Amino acid sequence: MSVIDILFRVDEVCKKYDKYDIDKQREQNAYGDDAFARVYAVVDSTIQQALIKSEAAAKESNRAVAAAWNAEVRRAKGRLMDEVPKLRKLANKKAKGLTKEDIAIRQDLVLALPERIQAIPDGITSAASHTGGWAATSAHPHIKFDSPEGPVDSDYFSHSEESSQFRNEYEMRKLKQDEGLDIISEGLDTLKNLALDMNEELDRQVPLMDEIDSKVDRANSEVRNTNLRLKKTITEMRSSRNFCIDITLMCVLLGIIMWLYNALK
Amino acid sequence: MASSSSDPQNLITKADNLTTLSFTRWNADWINATVLYEQAANAFKIAKDYERAKSAYEKASKGQEMLSSPWEAAKNMESAGAMSKELRNWREVGDFYRRASELYIECGRSQAASDALAKGARALEDSQPEEAIKLYTDACTILEEDGGEQMTFDLYRAAASVYIKQEKYTDAASFLLKLGLAADKCNATNSQTKAYLSAIIVYLYAQDFKQAEKCYNDCSQIDGFLRNDHGRCASKLLTAFKDGDIEEIKRITQSSIISNLDHVIIRLARKLPMGDVNALKANSDTIKDEEEPLDENDLT
Repeated sequence: MSVIDILFRVDEVCKKYDKYDIDKQREQNAYGDDAFARVYAVVDSTIQQALIKSEAAAKESNRAVAAAWNAEVRRAKGRLMDEVPKLRKLANKKAKGLTKEDIAIRQDLVLALPERIQAIPDGITSAASHTGGWAATSAHPHIKFDSPEGPVDSDYFSHSEESSQFRNEYEMRKLKQDEGLDIISEGLDTLKNLALDMNEELDRQVPLMDEIDSKVDRANSEVRNTNLRLKKTITEMRSSRNFCIDITLMCVLLGIIMWLYNALK
Repeated sequence: MASSSSDPQNLITKADNLTTLSFTRWNADWINATVLYEQAANAFKIAKDYERAKSAYEKASKGQEMLSSPWEAAKNMESAGAMSKELRNWREVGDFYRRASELYIECGRSQAASDALAKGARALEDSQPEEAIKLYTDACTILEEDGGEQMTFDLYRAAASVYIKQEKYTDAASFLLKLGLAADKCNATNSQTKAYLSAIIVYLYAQDFKQAEKCYNDCSQIDGFLRNDHGRCASKLLTAFKDGDIEEIKRITQSSIISNLDHVIIRLARKLPMGDVNALKANSDTIKDEEEPLDENDLT
């Protein structure tokens, strides 16, 4: 019996005995008529799950995991806030078998929901606890040029046409160099990005290459085995073919003898 | 013989005859039938008769299943999915690719399974984005269970771009953070920091400044991000937003760091700042004012 048949059989058996699955039936039958209670139960369970996740995120030591989980919690909160107006509408609807007090209780529950949703912690909110987080600390020391930026007009310095021309030329050349350096820096940024991406891509391919290596080794040894077996069979064949050649030659010989016999007769 | 064997409809009828049980035939001959089904399907595909090619591939796949070769069955299912994509029968596309990935999992090839789901998701991106997202998430789960997180980057990125197209920004940002998590496991710091920066930009585009700040605070716990180019760019961007400095924001978004991100994110970044930056600035100021009176009254 193949795996497929087993799977089909298991599915059929499960379907047959589904009606005895207590949990499933309870889920389907409970709150059958009451839309509000159903939706409220779903929202409640989502809030519980979000709380559990946020607690786990707070205890998690791996920050990347914590960041991802906090984002999930925020997403869930957003979705829950969308559900609240729906619930409000359902709470105001009168359903059969509900007293006025029940309706009032439901409306209170719905009002309390937004606060409960917002109370779910979802990440570090205090920015003050990170000293230097906001300060744009540049890791590179300032590159200073040895250009005199102090007061140019002093009593001991007099302009001459040549010197001011020099100064202008110097400023122009400096500007052009700055532009050129900007272009170079942009090019270097692109190169750095490309290099980092290539690095990651190669890292990604290493395990794939290892897999290819092992698979090719296996195929290699299988082919070698097959070759050996083929060689053995061929040598056997040849020896049996030698045998056939012997028989044919004998038949030819007999034929020649018969012909001689007939000729001499 | 040549004409009848090359006529695909004849092949299908012959194969059907081989497989249907009747009074004279007690065992279905799946081996020959599958061969005939595959030939017919290829012929239909060349003739661009997608409807019949699709059903031929389906039958061929079932035949391979009967022969207990799930790999071939999965390949045929994928071909059937490609045919139904041509026919624009979107529900079937999803079904076929899911079935193909299940068969691949039976073979124990998780990479191929997630590839099949990714192909299906790409086909459904425009017509059924919800279904596409589900397929992408399932593909990522399959890979992560088997320890192949490196392949999940592209899938997460594609899923995030589908969400952005649908304008569901919180969901897109959470997917980008999942990308960061997967990158962290593989020590791919560049992709990780890019993912965090993209998430912050998405939050800012959705005009959710508090979320962006929270996200930045979360991610700055990670050393790599704090000292990286991307981290510095993110902090500059957030300070510019807080100060309401539009020129600075425009300057940052034109910088080369942002241009190295995913093109969908670049488009969002160039459109920043969305909405009223001064309103965001006013919001953050009022929050500071609310905190101070509390401090005064706090006698402990």
